[in-house]
Amino acid sequence: MILYDYILSPGCYKARLMAALTGLELTLRAVDFHPGAEHRGPELLALNPAGSIPILVDGDLVLTESAAILVYISGKAAPAWLGNGQPATNARIQQWLSFSARLTASLGGARLHEMLHRPGDIVALRAAGVTALRELEAALFEQRLKNEAFLVTDRPTIADIACFPYVALAPDGGVSLDAYPSIRLWMRAVRSLEGFIEMPGIHRLHELKPDPHGLPSSSEAVEE
Amino acid sequence: MQKDFSAAWTPVALSADLPVAYVIPARIETADVAVWRAEDGTVSAVADRCPHRGMRLSHGFVRGEALSCIYHGWRYGKTGHCLAIPAHPGLRPPEAIRVTVYRVAERDGVIWVSATEEPGEAPAHEGFTGLRSITLSATAETLAGCLNSALRHGTIDWKIDEMKARLLTTPSSEEGILLAHLLIEAGATQSQKRSASIALEALRRAAEAAVKQGEAA
Amino acid sequence: MSGEAMIDQWYPVGLISQLLAKGRQTLLMGETIYVSCNAVGKAIVTTSDGRDLPVTERYGHVWSSLGLPAAPLFDIPEAEQPGRRLVDVGVVRVRCSPLRAVENFLDIAHFPFVHTDILGAEPHTEVENYKVEIREDADEVWATQVKFYQPQAARSASGGITTEYMYRVPAPTCSILYKTCPPRPSEWDVITLFVQPLTEELCDVWPWMALFDDETPMTDLIHFQQMIFLQDRSILENQIPRRLPLDPGMEIPTRADLTSVAYRRWLKRHAFTYGAQLVAQ
Repeated sequence: MILYDYILSPGCYKARLMAALTGLELTLRAVDFHPGAEHRGPELLALNPAGSIPILVDGDLVLTESAAILVYISGKAAPAWLGNGQPATNARIQQWLSFSARLTASLGGARLHEMLHRPGDIVALRAAGVTALRELEAALFEQRLKNEAFLVTDRPTIADIACFPYVALAPDGGVSLDAYPSIRLWMRAVRSLEGFIEMPGIHRLHELKPDPHGLPSSSEAVEE
Repeated sequence: MQKDFSAAWTPVALSADLPVAYVIPARIETADVAVWRAEDGTVSAVADRCPHRGMRLSHGFVRGEALSCIYHGWRYGKTGHCLAIPAHPGLRPPEAIRVTVYRVAERDGVIWVSATEEPGEAPAHEGFTGLRSITLSATAETLAGCLNSALRHGTIDWKIDEMKARLLTTPSSEEGILLAHLLIEAGATQSQKRSASIALEALRRAAEAAVKQGEAA
Repeated sequence: MSGEAMIDQWYPVGLISQLLAKGRQTLLMGETIYVSCNAVGKAIVTTSDGRDLPVTERYGHVWSSLGLPAAPLFDIPEAEQPGRRLVDVGVVRVRCSPLRAVENFLDIAHFPFVHTDILGAEPHTEVENYKVEIREDADEVWATQVKFYQPQAARSASGGITTEYMYRVPAPTCSILYKTCPPRPSEWDVITLFVQPLTEELCDVWPWMALFDDETPMTDLIHFQQMIFLQDRSILENQIPRRLPLDPGMEIPTRADLTSVAYRRWLKRHAFTYGAQLVAQ
């Protein structure tokens, strides 16, 4: 299974993260998105006319759209991530997959503008991002009332992976997450999952490991 | 007459939003603070700035009874003293390396921080418990106006479906944005909590619309 | 504008490979400038009122100045060595002082916490003593004999090694890192950070590399360096104050910070204060 990948792409990261969480092996084929714009070059346009990444290739199957790739990876490697199969659960997962496109457009657009010089109306992008974050915060708060730590039920699903990256990287685009306590708790829950991997801009949770050094005893000066 | 110390305290967050081994950014009148809960449950508040290279401590991590800075891992204890510097594992940091510590109180599901040396008791909200915090682009006056309720020291009394509720407001760390903590009756059911959250969202919509109308006028 | 002395320096303003006749608008120390090329592809940089600015093209980048540079751009002899792969990493914008960006690049104590399991990992957090000097002849800051244990130091490394480093600051917003080159242990890999100051609190960072590595695909080389820089970005955007304090008191260095201390001292000596703050201000 080959993933056409860009290390800084949150969309590609969704696929990498899903694979890591489910133990699926992916072969990564690096795409020079920036500065080379390779995703818009002839080879990749032939594979995906939309000119976007990620692209997943598994034999004859070519998948674009990160949500579809999440469905495929989890379907193959760990179907529990697709929910319990009940109509309501399926629908709620679908709802969040659709919602995640708004995060990509708003928070992702703001991030590309602020970091990589992509054109855009930064004020409008951030406002749309805040609107989406408020909705996510409200939903996650209600999940907490039900003692559920994730978006749909008490265990993570692809809905969480679809929404997590652009939310976690909102500050890259100048959208602070300080105002969303439930979102921040949910992000910690995702980052604490067995097999979780980071992407640049999302740090390791060092609190998950104990301090390797004891407290120092010598009082010799450390200063310069 | 008892002096009212309540003005010395700022409601920065809800207890439920600060689990063990966690740190959050917050704002009091005179400073940005990092509020953190140690492994033993104690809450501390420090200036949100590591004295090494100025990195925000609210981006750090809590291990055991100490808060560490994400940049170089400098560890701070509850008194604000630097306990360890990972670049020099065997050496004890001098006394002078420390962060300013603030007073903390935790009651009724609300975490309060004060910059005052002896701030007295934090405000009590008997019979209430913290439910949810939101931010909004509106003033506390507008909020109180939407509820036809009085604003007293940032506090607004409210009733949601015959259940008593209360809003504690304070400026957020963002210019022009208000932080509001919703408290409801202790013993509220899950269903009542959900209704309260939905009512809070409706109130925010009303307050922000009122502000927009005011701007258009 | 503070930092008047910095106005006569060379700054990166674009990639040679992306020069277009129609030009690109950007900022240099608060001034709007336009970077384009003429009919034969030679770079041109102008201000809004049509003034031509000094231009030089080196190390994959277009360089310019709002003032009059007293000398040509600094030399990086390794860049001319045959067999070197020259890598344009691509620009990243950061909301921080250009001087903070450089100082972070000079620092190694953050490797285990910010570049976890790549450039460093707990418990290997100790920073051993190293040598720092301001070389008076070249008027540059140099750190040598810097060592750090790294789980995955470079794309060309196949496991943990103790990497040796040298750091060099040839200009106030440029830094060059020389590091252990796994395929050719007697040579140094060269990794640079060229920083364009847009304002005192906003900069465009243009990393560039000259490596000995015949195996790794170019895109992977680019991505490795972008990954490292992007891990630093959220640190850089959250340091307070934004401007680099050049006077003691606000920030406390330790022996691990010798390079940064020398850099701040050198900046102050030259009144290179664009993006800095002094106690008197």
